[in-house]
Amino acid sequence: MLAVLVSLVSLGIVAQQCQAIVIYTGWERHALVGSDIRLSCSFFSWRWTSEDVTFSWTYRPDGSRDSISIFHYTGGEAYLDNKGPFKDRLEFVGNPGRRDGSILIKNLEFTDNGTFTCDAKNPPDIVGRPSSVRLLVFEKVPIQAGVITGAIIGVVLGLLVLIVVIYYLMRFLVARRVFSLNVSKHGKKKKEGSQQRQLWTPPPLTCYPLP
Amino acid sequence: MFVLAGIIVLHISTIILLLVATIDNAWWVTETVSTDLWGTWRLKSSEWHYHNLETSPDEFLQSVQASAVLACIFSILGLFVFVAQLFTLPKGQRFMFTGILQLISCLCVMIAASVYTAELHTGASGGYGHSYILAWISFVLTFLLALTYLILRKKSE
Repeated sequence: MLAVLVSLVSLGIVAQQCQAIVIYTGWERHALVGSDIRLSCSFFSWRWTSEDVTFSWTYRPDGSRDSISIFHYTGGEAYLDNKGPFKDRLEFVGNPGRRDGSILIKNLEFTDNGTFTCDAKNPPDIVGRPSSVRLLVFEKVPIQAGVITGAIIGVVLGLLVLIVVIYYLMRFLVARRVFSLNVSKHGKKKKEGSQQRQLWTPPPLTCYPLP
Repeated sequence: MFVLAGIIVLHISTIILLLVATIDNAWWVTETVSTDLWGTWRLKSSEWHYHNLETSPDEFLQSVQASAVLACIFSILGLFVFVAQLFTLPKGQRFMFTGILQLISCLCVMIAASVYTAELHTGASGGYGHSYILAWISFVLTFLLALTYLILRKKSE
């Protein structure tokens, strides 16, 4: 009896956990100063996407503890920042029906370095953790660690495999060509050989009488 | 019989030296720092802490990493090809493929060590660590092994 009760309660807890909304953004984004960047935000929910789905983005500059709200989507309307640091630079490029709440920031500046947090709510599924993406603005995008290493190793090994494959292919092809030549010439050679045998008879031994 | 065993033992120990040189982070050593190719060990208040290299490591360091890894790969491939050729090579022939792989491995080690010497830590005070020394030792060993494979002939009785 107690076991049944415990299992029911735990099922209830698990069902509650199943209903938590899971929000996905990137982890880190690198961009060049002056370019545009699309910050993607999507969520997973066990419920159908409701009409009251809301997305909100908040921004916390690097080194600051305060965050300000820069974007809110609710009731089918998107509200963009019109007073803050992203005035006239934000654009909503998401598709709430497809659970996409991405925003586009245009003309990046060095002061845009910071953490962007996306919070999505899909009533009645509202329990969830907001997800953050860190934006790094560079003058020149650095090559990530390991890209050159991997590229060199990949190219050299690929060349090695290519050379070995070509070598064995050449050997195979030459063998095939020789084989096919032998087939057509084999008949001729046989005839020639037999003819030659007929033609070539050992010279008769002639004995010259001794003077 | 002994020649064969000796060559295989030498090849395996060369591979081990190459692996240690590539993996151990001790190419450049000062009193408080032991670094490269993959990370840096720093001595802080009598405890060693491991740091990753900065977000944009030198392009030269990345090419040293690639060469060292390629040298290990080619040497290990050479060992397998040698064992395979022991069984498949016609008698009286040279171990060409093995020799060539070993020669490429030797070349890669030389490139790695030379680029490291020429481009990194120029003018800084400190010394080269044991991984760097092992890299040069394995260069000599791979060269000798390559010569051996290219000269040796399979026994023909």
